[in-house]
Order: sequence, then C-alpha cells, then structure tokens
Amino acid sequence: MMSRYSRRLLRSRVWLTFSVGAAAFGLLWLVLILSTLVWNGLAGLSFSVFTEMTPPPGGAGGLLNPIIGSLIITALAVAIGTPVGILAGTYMAEYGRYDRITYAIRFINDILLSAPSIIVGLFVYEILVVPMGHFSGFAGAVALAVIVIPVVVRTTEDMLLLVPNQMREAASALGAPQWFVISRVAYRAAQAGIITGVLLAVARISGETAPLLFTALNNQFWSINLNTPMPSLPVVIFQFALSPYEDWQRLAWTGALLITAAVLGLSVLARTLASKGGER
Amino acid sequence: MKEHIVTSYENELRDLGRKVAEMGGRAERLVADSVTALLKRDTALAERVIVQDKTVDMLQREIEEAAIAMIARRQPLATDLREIVSALRVAGDLERVGDLAKNTAKRALALEGEYRAQKQLRGVEHMSEIAIEQLKAVLDAYSNHDDARALAVWKRDGEIDAIYTSLFRELLTYMMEDPRHITLCTHLLFAAKNIERIGDHATNIAETVHYLVVGEPLSDERPKSDTSSLTKMSVSR
Amino acid sequence: MNSIAVRAAADNIPNTREKLSIRALSFFYGEAKALNGIDLQLHERQVSALIGPSGCGKSTLLRVLNRMYALYPNQRAEGEVWLDGENILRPEQDLNFLRAKVGMVFQKPTPFPMSIYENIAFGLRLYEKLSRAEMGERVERALTRAALWEEAKDRLNASALGLSGGQQQRLCIARTIAVKPEVILLDEPTSALDPISTAKVEDLIDELKRDFTIVVVTHNMQQAARVADRTAFLYLGNLIEEGPTSMMFNNPKDRRTLDYITGRFG
Repeated sequence: MMSRYSRRLLRSRVWLTFSVGAAAFGLLWLVLILSTLVWNGLAGLSFSVFTEMTPPPGGAGGLLNPIIGSLIITALAVAIGTPVGILAGTYMAEYGRYDRITYAIRFINDILLSAPSIIVGLFVYEILVVPMGHFSGFAGAVALAVIVIPVVVRTTEDMLLLVPNQMREAASALGAPQWFVISRVAYRAAQAGIITGVLLAVARISGETAPLLFTALNNQFWSINLNTPMPSLPVVIFQFALSPYEDWQRLAWTGALLITAAVLGLSVLARTLASKGGER
Repeated sequence: MKEHIVTSYENELRDLGRKVAEMGGRAERLVADSVTALLKRDTALAERVIVQDKTVDMLQREIEEAAIAMIARRQPLATDLREIVSALRVAGDLERVGDLAKNTAKRALALEGEYRAQKQLRGVEHMSEIAIEQLKAVLDAYSNHDDARALAVWKRDGEIDAIYTSLFRELLTYMMEDPRHITLCTHLLFAAKNIERIGDHATNIAETVHYLVVGEPLSDERPKSDTSSLTKMSVSR
Repeated sequence: MNSIAVRAAADNIPNTREKLSIRALSFFYGEAKALNGIDLQLHERQVSALIGPSGCGKSTLLRVLNRMYALYPNQRAEGEVWLDGENILRPEQDLNFLRAKVGMVFQKPTPFPMSIYENIAFGLRLYEKLSRAEMGERVERALTRAALWEEAKDRLNASALGLSGGQQQRLCIARTIAVKPEVILLDEPTSALDPISTAKVEDLIDELKRDFTIVVVTHNMQQAARVADRTAFLYLGNLIEEGPTSMMFNNPKDRRTLDYITGRFG
C-alpha cells in the first residue's frame, strides 16, 4: 500500500520521463536535419561557390549571383520595412497608446504576422508585377518588406512599452516636448530590443521562398538590376533541389547550409544584443 | 482618545503614567510622615522615612530610563511627546520632594528631647497641611489632565509662602527672646523652608500639567509672596 | 511675552510672498474625485510639506503643480493654480515652458540611459544654447550643488546606471536644478533610499531652499518635521489643516491631524 507521498513521487517521475522523452524526440529531428545539412552541404562547399555563377546543368559553378541577389533583395526589404515598422510601433506605444485605433492596428498586425507568405507573394504579383508587365527584384523586395513590417511593429511596440513611464515623466518634467522624449530617451532605452527585432525580421525573410517565386522569379545570370528578375538563394535551392542533375543538387545543399548558417549567426547576434540590454 | 496603532506603545505610555502615580503617592506619604515625626518626636517613623526615600529615588531613575527609551524608539510628537516630557519633569520634582521630606525627618531625629515653642510648631503643622493638600491636588490634576485644578494649585502657592514669611519672623523673635531657643528654632526654620520648597515643587508640577494639557508653558509670572529674604532685622542688641 | 512670536522667530521661517496660489482645486481620475476644492498657498524660498495617509491625494496635488497629469487621458483638474500672476491650469498654458519653471524629482530614481554628463546636459540643451565650456561648467555646478561632484567627477562619461541608488537620486536632483527652475517638487524623494543617502538629500533640501521654492510629499512624519517650514495635512482629498511645522507637530488644531501624526489613525 503506497503512501500518498511515494505515489506523488512516482507520478512526478513518470511525467518527467515523458517530458524528457518529448524533448529528446524533438531535438532528435533537429539534430538529424542539421547533420544531414552539414554532411551534404559541406561536401559541396568550396571557394568557387562564392566566386562563380550558377552553372547550366552538368557544368561546374557556384552560387555567386543568388548570394548577391539575396543580399540585395533582403537589404532593400529591410530598408523599406524597418522605418515603416518602427514608426508604426512608435505611434502605437507613444502617441496613440490610449487610442482605440491602436487596438485595431495591433489586431491586424498580429494577423499579418502569421499570414502565409505565399499570399503575400500573390498580392504583390497582382499590384506590382502585373502592372509592370514583368518580374523584378524590386517586387521581390516589396514582398519581403510586407513580411518584415509586422515583425518590426510588434517588437518595437513591445520594447517601447517596456520602458518605464517614470523615465518619460522625468524627461517631460524637465520641459522636453514629446518627440524629444521619444527620440532621446525612449528609443535610447529600448534600442537593444528594437535592433533585436530587426535582426529577427531579417532572419525570418532570409529563407522565404514563396513570395519570391511570384515576384523576383529567378535569373540564371548575373543581375543586379532591380527592374529585372533577380536570382535568390531560396529560389535557386528550390530549382536545383528538384532537378535530376547531381551537381545542381549538390549546390542546393550547399545553398541550404549557407542560409542556415546565416540565420543561425543572426539569431546568436540578436540573442547577445538582447542579453546585453537586459544586463543593465 | 483613540489608541495607538502599535499596542506596545500604548502600554508603555500607560506604564509610565502608573509609575508617576505610584511615585506621587509615595512622596505624599513621605511628606506627611516626616511632619508627623517632627511634631510627635517619633524617631522610629523618622528613620522609616529616611529609608523609604530610596524607593522614591529608584522610581525616578526608572521613569527617566523608560522616558528616554521611548523618545529614542517611538519618536513621539505633539501630545505623546508632552506626555513623556511631563513624566520626566514631574518625576524630577517628586524626587526632590522625597529628599525634602527625608531632610525634615533628619531634623526630627536631631531634635530629640527639647521641645516647647507650641505656637511655632502649630505654624509648621498648618503649613504642612496645605502643602500636602497642594501635592495631592496637583497629582490628581496630573492623572486626570485637569488644567483648571492645576491652575488652582498654582495660584494657592502664595498662601504657603505667606505662612512661611510670618513663621520666619516669629521664629526670629523667639530666638531673640532666649538664646536657649536657638537650636530648636533653627531646626524648625529649616523644616519650614523644606515645606515651603515642597509647595514650590507642587507649583512646578502644576505648570507642567498646564503645558501637558494646553501645549504652551504658563506665560504669567508665578505669584510669589515669600518676602522673607527681604525681612529686615537690626543686628545690634 | 507672546510665546507664538518667540516660536516663530526660533523657527526661522523667512517671511516671503506667495509663489504658488492654489484655489478651489478639484481633481478627477475619470469620474472619481481625488481632490476636493483645495485652497493652499505655497511661499517663496520655503519648504512646504504635504503629509497624509495613503490615497489622501498628496501626490495627485503635487502633480497638478507641473501638470504632469496632462500626459494621461481621463485625468482632469478644475480650479486655478496661480504662478507668478498666471493661471497655469488654463488651456493655453505652454506645458513645456511650465515644466522648465517647475521641476520635479520622483520617488524612484530615474536616470536616463546615458552618461552622467549627458543626463544633466539633456535638460540644458532643451532651452539654452551653450558652448562646450559653458555646458561643462553648468554640469559641474549642478553636480556640486547636489553634493555629487566629488563622487562623479572622475566618471562623467560613464553610464549613470552604474551609480548607487542614493547617488542616482542626487543625480536626478542635479538634473532638475541644472535648468534653474523656480519651484522644485519632490515626490517622496527618500523613500527608496538608505538612511545615509536620506540624510544627504535632507541636507541638500535645507541648502536649496535658500534659492528655490520647494514642495515635498512625504510619508515620513519626522522628515516633514525636520525639513519643512510649513506643513499641510490632507485626508481623503481634503485639506484638513495647514500651518507652520512647529505648530502642526506640537499642537495641531484638528483632532484628525493629531491622530495621524501620533500614529493613532485607523
């Protein structure tokens, strides 16, 4: 006849086993994915990956143009989306904090945050690609910007709301106008968090493929003209991985490894910045 | 009056008041006993008075310690502060009253044997009756926070002083009549002075009671009718 | 001999004119009334203390004096507050200008996330154009006055967040006096500080009152008794009693005041 205590102990042990098991199960797949990625990607990694352009099937080459293309499109998307996101977040947290419209904005923003990216791509196809008559890197950047904005809005608003009101009051008490309080004090206090938000947005769009399919399409050759279709790593991986050519498949693995490494690096950077901001 | 939120504070104040009341009662008894000892030449009583004065001294020390501790710990304000400060002052006055009673009792011991001067002894008795009444009245006024009663005591001090002044003159005259009376009269003079001082202490306590109740010291001059220091007497025979 | 005159002279209250005149002030948080028709005069170059139990409205009253409540919706004030011949509650009042004249130090020290130098320069840059040398001089003077110069002079460019609590509060005071206001409002300035820092801040108030009009809200009765020339007792949004500090703490006229200061409330 077990006492209440030892029954509870047993139950605790059972749950613990389940939890550990579930965690191990999840981690197992992550480890498998990463190790497959590294195993296959490293095999194709060489200097030429960064110096030569995508080859025709059967030829040797690298990933230079998709890498450059991705960088350009991502940079432009961030340049478009970040100011819009930060300013919108600032409105919600500072000027319109007690307005009813802020609730509506926050609600819509949360929906956009989890909108399927393919829908974003289709939307931009309709409003940009069709009127322009052709695919373009610019449309691709716009599509990615639409994904960046909700992320930045959310983190900016959250980080600004974390700044204690007393600090704003202290600045107002010196006679500072509101915009001064926001720019010199609130932003300063929340800067680590806001930058983290931007970095997370970048990490998110680095791997988005669907929106680019309908907007930037792809380009076999060198292209830095935003008015023309531009190559990007995710789309190239899509194309090469599905092909029957071995060297293309190898390049696809390498590209996947590169994206994963970039996202990992950005996440670590974001994490470091966040902890430095939290130390104070 | 509402009670303090901190019960121990309330209890400490009550204890302080109780100690002062006890001290007052003992001092009254000492004064009465010392005068009785003097008038009836009761040496045993006189010795008891001298011993019992020590208890009064001890009580004064206890009250002082308790009051100082309360000031440091409780940081009293307004009425509480006046309560504690008054307890300190009254204890000081009562300790002096005890000492004066002890002094009178010592005189009783010194006067063993010789006695006449019935008229002067009656003068001392009369003075002491008033002094004891004053003391009782003012201690009542203190425990009841009765300002009117304290003021009455304050005004009556003149009576004791007047009796003392006339007693002073009489004793001087008596001493001049016959040098053999000098010892007795000198002791009686000192005893009378002690009682007059006891009356003054009762007036002090009355002033303290007024301060306790009203919050301001008495601004008027105390009525003084003791002109004995101005009594002229020709020194030549 | 008039004992009241003796006590007033002993208190050393300077006989100065009114700086802030509060008339029939009522305050509302939404529908709830927090202040009920307050009439109060605050005198120049004196320290006035506002005391009372929690929720009596003393902080609310303080925050009306620099219209800090304007930052929030649903808070409104009715009545008049006259400062130097102008009603600061009127809608046309320039709030930033008002706050440059009426400074405030809060209960919790709130240094800005910048260096010590920048913290003080922040306020200075708002309304004055100063050369580098002048700025440095003003910063030094403010820190000296706030009794922080010795401790801070070697690390002016270090973050203000690295200072201790007491030092941070003195920094906030330095920041407030650097812009040369006329009135300084202190909302429980030492409740978050240790005894030594508290003593330093009280010493500072004693010294500052020579040049500024000071209003202090405090929970600590003994602090009000030590620091203030005049004290006002508030209860449930009403001004119960006001007068020279020695009178208020020795012999208050209202029974409620006496009960509060001797710890008999409740």
